Amino acid sequence: MSAKAETLKRPGLGRPLIIVGSVLVVVVCLFPFWWMALSSVKTLRELYTIPPIWWPEAPTWDNYRKVLFESNIPRYFLNSLVISIGATALALVLAVFASYGFARFNFRGKPLLQSFVLVGQLLPTAAIIVPLFITLRVLGLVNTYWGLILVYMIITLPLSVWMLTSYFKAIPVELEEAAIIDGASRLGCLLRITLPLSLPGIVSVLVYAFVTTWNEFIFALCFATDSSVKTLPIGLAEFSTEFNTDWGAVMAASVVMTLPIALLFLSMQRLFIGGLTAGATKG
Amino acid sequence: MRMKTTALLSAAIAALSAGTAFAGEVTWWTPNFNEARAKTLVEKFQAANPGITVKLEVTTTDGLPQRVLTALQSGAAPDIVDVQHGWVNGYAQNKLVLPLDEVLKDREDYIPAALEYVTWDSKLWGIPYRIETHAVIFNKGDFTAAGLDPNKPPQTWDELVAAAEKLSTDGKSGFAITGGGEVGNTIFRSLPFMWMAGGGIISDDGKKVLVNSPESVKAVTFYTDFFKNKLSPASTLENDGTANRRLFIAEKVSMYQSGQFDVPSIKKENAKIDVGVMPIPHPEGSKTAAILGGWSLVVPSSAKNPEEAKTFIAFLAESDSQAVLTDTFPARISAMKAERFNDPILDVFKQMLPYGRPVPAHPRWVQISQAYFDGIQRILLGDEDAQKAMDGAAAEIESLL
Amino acid sequence: MQRQSTGYLFVLPALMLLAMLIAYPVAYTALLSVTDNQGEYVGLENFRRILAARATPIAFWNTLWWVFGSIVFQVVLGVLTAILLNQNFRGRALVRSVTLVPWVVPGIVAATTWAWMLHTEFGIINYMLTAPGLIDEPVGWLTNGRTVMPVMIAINVWKMFPFVAIMVLAGLQSIPNDLYEAARIDGASFWEEVWYVMLPQVRMVIVAVTLLLVIWALNHITIIYAITRGGPANRTLITPIQIFRTAFEGVQFNQAAALSVMFFGVAIVVVFVYIKTLASSGDQP
Repeated sequence: MSAKAETLKRPGLGRPLIIVGSVLVVVVCLFPFWWMALSSVKTLRELYTIPPIWWPEAPTWDNYRKVLFESNIPRYFLNSLVISIGATALALVLAVFASYGFARFNFRGKPLLQSFVLVGQLLPTAAIIVPLFITLRVLGLVNTYWGLILVYMIITLPLSVWMLTSYFKAIPVELEEAAIIDGASRLGCLLRITLPLSLPGIVSVLVYAFVTTWNEFIFALCFATDSSVKTLPIGLAEFSTEFNTDWGAVMAASVVMTLPIALLFLSMQRLFIGGLTAGATKG
Repeated sequence: MRMKTTALLSAAIAALSAGTAFAGEVTWWTPNFNEARAKTLVEKFQAANPGITVKLEVTTTDGLPQRVLTALQSGAAPDIVDVQHGWVNGYAQNKLVLPLDEVLKDREDYIPAALEYVTWDSKLWGIPYRIETHAVIFNKGDFTAAGLDPNKPPQTWDELVAAAEKLSTDGKSGFAITGGGEVGNTIFRSLPFMWMAGGGIISDDGKKVLVNSPESVKAVTFYTDFFKNKLSPASTLENDGTANRRLFIAEKVSMYQSGQFDVPSIKKENAKIDVGVMPIPHPEGSKTAAILGGWSLVVPSSAKNPEEAKTFIAFLAESDSQAVLTDTFPARISAMKAERFNDPILDVFKQMLPYGRPVPAHPRWVQISQAYFDGIQRILLGDEDAQKAMDGAAAEIESLL
Repeated sequence: MQRQSTGYLFVLPALMLLAMLIAYPVAYTALLSVTDNQGEYVGLENFRRILAARATPIAFWNTLWWVFGSIVFQVVLGVLTAILLNQNFRGRALVRSVTLVPWVVPGIVAATTWAWMLHTEFGIINYMLTAPGLIDEPVGWLTNGRTVMPVMIAINVWKMFPFVAIMVLAGLQSIPNDLYEAARIDGASFWEEVWYVMLPQVRMVIVAVTLLLVIWALNHITIIYAITRGGPANRTLITPIQIFRTAFEGVQFNQAAALSVMFFGVAIVVVFVYIKTLASSGDQP
């Protein structure tokens, strides 16, 4: 309670600056998205006019009908959901442990191992597609959810580990030392003290991993050839045929793809608010 | 030594994974625009061949080359893949596909250029089922408005330039060229002009660089001048074939090169336009030319059921099947008799077919065409003149031969 | 003070999984780089060929520009936005969510939407500038040799600064309140608070995020590839795109592998030096 009263007294940016800044940020961020949404209710004819028109004369829901009822998008939506949730969960569990190890222990070869974690991120995508495909085939995981979930560890895990390591480091080690003196195990420390304190970091990693896997295109294109595992970005590509792209439908599908993830963040961001660590270290 | 171990290992893996495929099952990757037509053919085939099941997997045009290559290169490929003619040579040279000479019947019924495309080392590596060439699509209304006769479209280069100049008024562009998008767009539209003038990018045997010969430079100058003299839209450098069609539909462009696949979407999206088609104009005293494009069927070396795949391909290669499967024209002359190819708007495109030539077969063709395309873009950007840009491209191509 | 072996136990599962997924690709790429397409050993021939290509040095300089330009603006804009979003004001929740939109939009969608808006003829941006007479003629944003790379960088900044903002914001929010209180007792102004309290506290986050941004800028080719494919005339060709095109458009897997090995080598050195420098400058809290 008292913490809240104090926050209000903190010096801050001037009101005009806040307003100008906010408006600027909102306009810059939203304009393309807004244009995308607007394009999704235009007919093909209205999409390609010179000069462009701001408001469609007769907004059409036809593009959405196509996306929702005449394409594989709903199925791909489900696939994307399963794969993204699976990959996020796996990355989070592995990253929490690895980051804790890096943040709280000094062991031989640590800088080397930390660099190694990033190695996968540095491999040029074009160079690893073929060997990865062979690996997946040996494991019998081509065209399966698990195949994509595992492959996504290469792109989500390294950064998740890095982010969490820096969060864990920012948490005062004294809290844990006190707990260890009280007889807690390292695992207990991690789960009961460090983890709850790094909730903002955890949420960031969660959102990061989810968004990355949700939007990934190249791996999904190469490793998922069956419609039972194809993901949404592939669905987007399917609106392009050899000499034509159904832009209205692409834009509508983009909206369908983007909205859930925007909503996800909207619900998650409550967790950011409140300065959790601040409250804890005080006590 | 090491190579051998790797080879053995991959053979073992292939044998292992082959166990999971059902004998008599053929997996066929076909692009999304073929889906409906492919389904009807599969049903027909299965009714006649109960021992073989065909599993249709639909691919997307975006990223298709990458995806096919990944599958071929890793040894986990389907049994049949639809690919563009131009890709087949690269696959053949890397031993990624199987020769198909035994499958091809009625060799003389095929347009020769189509077979030439998929031949390497005097073996046939793909069965062409679809061919097409470009022609020039134009807006008849614009012609009339500019005082030109839409029934007597330009035939020579000079007439084309003169017509384009007359048509370029009022924010409209007379003749749209491409200078952006994928390399192929610009190759398809500019290389024919080089051929007509007696030049080319490289010689047909792939031994000589022709790109900076006087004939080639003349054609390149002719092509790029449409942009320099503002007869092609300001956005030329970012336009591919699709973008040009968009501009045509928006009535901002009066003439542009494309294939018959553009005509239905023009009619659908802007019914006001009276669409005309003319053969691609040529220099005075020479013949027109075009690049032959289209699609072939290949059997990957790592196919699990190559024999069944060949049986199915033989069925797809039949005249009747080709008439159904193709999105444009069939590769077989006899298949052309089918009702769907009788539309009068297709006449000029049909006339162009005999002038269609394959692009030169060279292992590094993609890099060669990229070097040429970079040169074209340097001209369009105003960095270099045609001779200098093509000399630069020639030096680059020389090192690739 | 800590038992070392416990540390290994914590990091092992993640490392093993990554090793499984990475070891083979690395070995395979290395093997490809010194063989020809028949699998015969050819020494450094592939390296020689790809280094001799006209595009290679161009791609190298473009890559430097691309990475450097992207990072500077991403970090500066990201941190400023984070500070703004850390303020108390009405509608803050909404602005925070909106900020994330660019990052959430799939790369391929962002690329096509921007390409669409920037088109010389059909594009809304040229229309917005020409209609009120700000400029006389439509600008070929993506076709003018001078504007195309800055435009690509701008799109990349637009796409990624929200990520910096969100990460830094999360860092700002875990700053203990007593640090602010101490600053306030000393009578610090807002900007002094930013400089002496906030920035030092989120330094680690910024450092880590910068590294991530470098890696992304080096490896995320969607934006450039989808919009220009490296053109016009290689003005936006960066090395990863060159690798991609050599492999999948040119079917020269061996040369692509050679280029990958060099690219990878340079990237590893950069990352390693970065981490070493960090480790020596006050690693442990």
